[in-house]
Amino acid sequence: MTSDPILVGRIGAAHGIRGEVRVKAFTEPAEALGDYGPLMLPDGRRLTIERMRDQGTMLVVKFREIADRTAAERFNGLDLTIERSALPAPDDEETFYHADLVGLAVVDGTGDTLGRIVAVPNFGAGDLLEVQPAEGGTYYLPFTRAFVPTVDVAGGRVTVELPADFFDTEEPTDAETGDDA
Amino acid sequence: MARSVWKGPFVDGYLLKKAEKARASSRAEVIKIWSRRSTILPHFVGLTFGVYNGQKHVPVLVSEDMVGQKFGEFSPTRTYYGHSADKKARRK
Repeated sequence: MTSDPILVGRIGAAHGIRGEVRVKAFTEPAEALGDYGPLMLPDGRRLTIERMRDQGTMLVVKFREIADRTAAERFNGLDLTIERSALPAPDDEETFYHADLVGLAVVDGTGDTLGRIVAVPNFGAGDLLEVQPAEGGTYYLPFTRAFVPTVDVAGGRVTVELPADFFDTEEPTDAETGDDA
Repeated sequence: MARSVWKGPFVDGYLLKKAEKARASSRAEVIKIWSRRSTILPHFVGLTFGVYNGQKHVPVLVSEDMVGQKFGEFSPTRTYYGHSADKKARRK
């Protein structure tokens, strides 16, 4: 489990004269921003949400510690974070927070390190692990039991089982690129 | 305009052969393909294709609700990940 603070939002411009601010929430859904208790600023101060409402792509939030517009303007551009411990346990043992997966070492069955997880994208066909090897560009692994049989968050690594030809640099034939027409 | 039904879905021929070979081998593998224009057919369900996005092969695990769409739809050529925040990933 990561000890780094987790970025959940960013304060934008002041809104109105009563100390409300616009906030870009990175949580899913955006309203979940209020589910994790007080939010931390980069300097360690904590902000407590008094009320918030959805306004298109942003939230308009009233923090208890911000009294008026003049004060609100000083918070523009500051990141809002939470401790990892503020997140509830995942629903089941097959579900993991991105924050827990990013940074884990990727090792194969023989114990050789293949890289480190840098992102967990999902392009509509299941979750993927984007792995940064020691040299070269990143590559994607399907986040399935077949390819990633072991996820050891506490141990800081995932074990993967890759087919022998996974890293082969295969050149497409003309038929494969559609140049045969 | 929709494609005429009598033509059937478009699929590059080589892709069918690769899919059949992978299904016969029944081991977990990523079938590398460059055909982003091919339609996903029902008998691709359960297979994992590595769909080229111009830089690398993006694994696409085909599920039933993807049938009828094109492979390229699941392999974006430009990516923006956003922030992880409280997002979760589920291992299938």
